[in-house]
Amino acid sequence: MSIRRQKWIFILTLILIAAFAFTSCQKKEQKVEKVQKIQVITTLFPLYDFVKNISQDKVDAVLLLPPGVEPHSFEPKPDDIVRINKADLFIYTGPFMEPWAADILKGLDNKSLIVVDSSKDISLMGEKGKHGHDHEKKKEVHEKEHRHSHEKGHKHDHEMDPHIWLNFANAQKMVDHILEGLVKKDPTNKELYSKNAEQYKSKLNDLDQKFKETLSRCKKKIFIHAGHFAFGYLARRYGLQYVAAYGFSPDAEPSPKRLIELTKTMKKHGLKHIYYEELITPRVAETLSKETGATLLMLHGAHNLTKDEFEKGVTFISLMEENRKNLEAGLQCQ
Amino acid sequence: MSVTIISVRELSFQYNSAEVLAEVSFDVTPGDYIGLVGPNGSGKTTLIRILLGLLMPSAGTVSLFGRSSLDFREWYKVGYLSQRFMASYHHFPATVKEIVSMGLLSKKRFPKRMGSSDEMAIEKALECMDIVDIKDKLIHELSGGQQQRVFIARTIVNEPDLLILDEPTAAVDPETRERFFNLLENLNHQKRTTIILVTHDMGSIGKYASKMMYLDKRVIFYGTFEEFCRSTDMSSLFGSLSQHLICHRHE
Amino acid sequence: MEMIDFLSYGFIQRALITGFFIALLCSFLGFFLVLRRLSLIGDGLAHVTFGSVAVALFFKTFALYVSIPVVMISALGILRLIEKAKLHGDAAIGIVSSLGIAIGILLASLAGGFNIDLFSYLFGNILAISREEMILSILLSGVVFLVIIFFYHDLLSVTFDEESAKAAGVKTRRINTLLFLLTAVTVVLTMKAVGILLTSALLILPAVTSLQVSKGFKASLLISSLVGVLSVIGGIFISFWLNLPTGATIVLFNFFIFMLVFAHRRYNIKKRRLL
Ligand SMILES: [Zn+2]
Repeated sequence: MSIRRQKWIFILTLILIAAFAFTSCQKKEQKVEKVQKIQVITTLFPLYDFVKNISQDKVDAVLLLPPGVEPHSFEPKPDDIVRINKADLFIYTGPFMEPWAADILKGLDNKSLIVVDSSKDISLMGEKGKHGHDHEKKKEVHEKEHRHSHEKGHKHDHEMDPHIWLNFANAQKMVDHILEGLVKKDPTNKELYSKNAEQYKSKLNDLDQKFKETLSRCKKKIFIHAGHFAFGYLARRYGLQYVAAYGFSPDAEPSPKRLIELTKTMKKHGLKHIYYEELITPRVAETLSKETGATLLMLHGAHNLTKDEFEKGVTFISLMEENRKNLEAGLQCQ
Repeated sequence: MSVTIISVRELSFQYNSAEVLAEVSFDVTPGDYIGLVGPNGSGKTTLIRILLGLLMPSAGTVSLFGRSSLDFREWYKVGYLSQRFMASYHHFPATVKEIVSMGLLSKKRFPKRMGSSDEMAIEKALECMDIVDIKDKLIHELSGGQQQRVFIARTIVNEPDLLILDEPTAAVDPETRERFFNLLENLNHQKRTTIILVTHDMGSIGKYASKMMYLDKRVIFYGTFEEFCRSTDMSSLFGSLSQHLICHRHE
Repeated sequence: MEMIDFLSYGFIQRALITGFFIALLCSFLGFFLVLRRLSLIGDGLAHVTFGSVAVALFFKTFALYVSIPVVMISALGILRLIEKAKLHGDAAIGIVSSLGIAIGILLASLAGGFNIDLFSYLFGNILAISREEMILSILLSGVVFLVIIFFYHDLLSVTFDEESAKAAGVKTRRINTLLFLLTAVTVVLTMKAVGILLTSALLILPAVTSLQVSKGFKASLLISSLVGVLSVIGGIFISFWLNLPTGATIVLFNFFIFMLVFAHRRYNIKKRRLL
């Protein structure tokens, strides 16, 4: 008996060792190629794409999220922290998108690391976009009062919408913050970076105009998203009403009432399209489509890409172009 | 008629290369009541598990009712009560009746259904062990002695031709033990049920068994009770005093 | 009025029907599994399903085609570990399930990412059940129901004491294989339909609740299925009234029933002692 058991344990250990060896080999191969370029670590795809556009190939940009991974439930692995520790620049969306960032940055011994919080100076929207700027002001007052008492607990009672990049005016501000960080680390290429950033910002501006133009000639002023509440900023910028099945992150489950409300809203407004989100099996969207006969359309939040999308060379702007076309169809724009 | 019930030839069994049984050969004829004795670790339980087809022997053959145990299918002819029946059934949600009914399973073919004749058989077995009044109780609500009666009822419910009992009276009250041995004697005398009883209880076995087998990895002794009492080998093994004690009780 | 409106939605109907059959399925199987100290097999096989989905994504095939055979083989692996290596059930389940997760994670890192979030496969949603999932759950509970009817006595005796069942000529190995394979298919299907949370909860909670009030084997089996069905159907309605996520409500409601029954039993025991 004991001999058999030992045999099993032995085989199992072998498999595990093989597995570890395998993965660590992989990682090493990746590390070899980097020579002397500035190491920039980004957390979400928009940041990654912005960095690529500003720097072209002058820096080595890394997207922390593996392809296909849902970002709201993502937590960096020890290996990721090692990468951040060795990097020159760390760019993240903001404290509400990456709540883990603050703790990890505190624990780093990388003194020369420049950290860019891309949400700096961008006013965040609160619960479902209802409170808007008022909320923001209240929050500031609030914070002054309570700064000493409970800094950490604060985040939880005032959850803010982290999806700032889906407002293209914000996206331009994010580009500015990234540029600032890049220049600080690599002043020699300042001119190139600034020129590229300006060009990219004008592209974002064009995109913004195009959205404005398209969405101004639509029959419907509301769209239903069977995903998490990611498009609040976009909806507000173009004066649309936006309803989503979940809250700010897709880890919760909608209640039956919520789903019934959604079908009622769809029927009431005569909507023939239901939007689903990227990366996650569109179960809820399919349910609502069955319930109402609506057609499925994707609304890509651009948090992260799938493996195929990466291989196809999808960009932030091309994703938003797709979104614009899908909104044009769903909102019955002429 | 006189088909041998059990026939064992040159049986041996090794476990992790340690010898547990070697060169075991013997026959059991209908109506035998065999007391199987031997020191701890002498391979009694292993032998029984091989007879029941629960273990495969390393070498040798076993036949049951004239047929090799490998293709023996008439398990309903064999009743078995393991020494582990006292194992933890603390929360098993079965009633006394449900447990006794399990004993009828070996007779059934697919699909296994219980009919009115089965109900009667169960009722009879319950009466036999005097547990009719607790038939709807859960097994874990009963005392140790009552539990054992239930398991004995399960073993005898389908009136097997061969009963194999592995230390059934360990940790049981004297009344149950007495009732149990009387029951075995009745079965043996009236129905010619063949019985193999593994026991430490040399005193009791002397009263009832017709044959003795002394096992210590090999068969040291196998013969009638009278032969056992006359055997000088056995008296040197047990000491003449305990041999006398066993044999005296028999007279 | 509100209730009729509620029942007129297709997804609610599918949730109630599928929930009913999945509850039956899981509570029947779970009853035998819990009694054999294999409570965690649902959880373990769910992790294997996770690994098998990674395999399917890696080779770009339809997940169920990979999951069902892989999880069936893993279930038999657990069975053989228990029988041959004489491991305890929990240890065997632990080995196989950690192997499943390890393979999943290994493949995820080898593939360098997927086209879908792997973890979203772990969380089916009872409000988003497809017609196919509903039909499959009805068929599968039909199969399980027939197996329990035709093999009731074998299952009872194997569950009670495997060795004496074997000595009574029960094909214990066949029965075990049947039980484990049915569990495997059930876990894959219910995982996809309602997610890991409900799957492992429905395999354990109804069974342990019925054991608190046990009046016999058959009675407990029936009570177990009753508790399972009541929890799911009740949970769906409660989640509507209180506007809560349905899966979590079902689990909490089931736990609530368990606590009620448990408290009732403790009260009775105390009363009996006082008398
Ligand atoms: Zn998001």
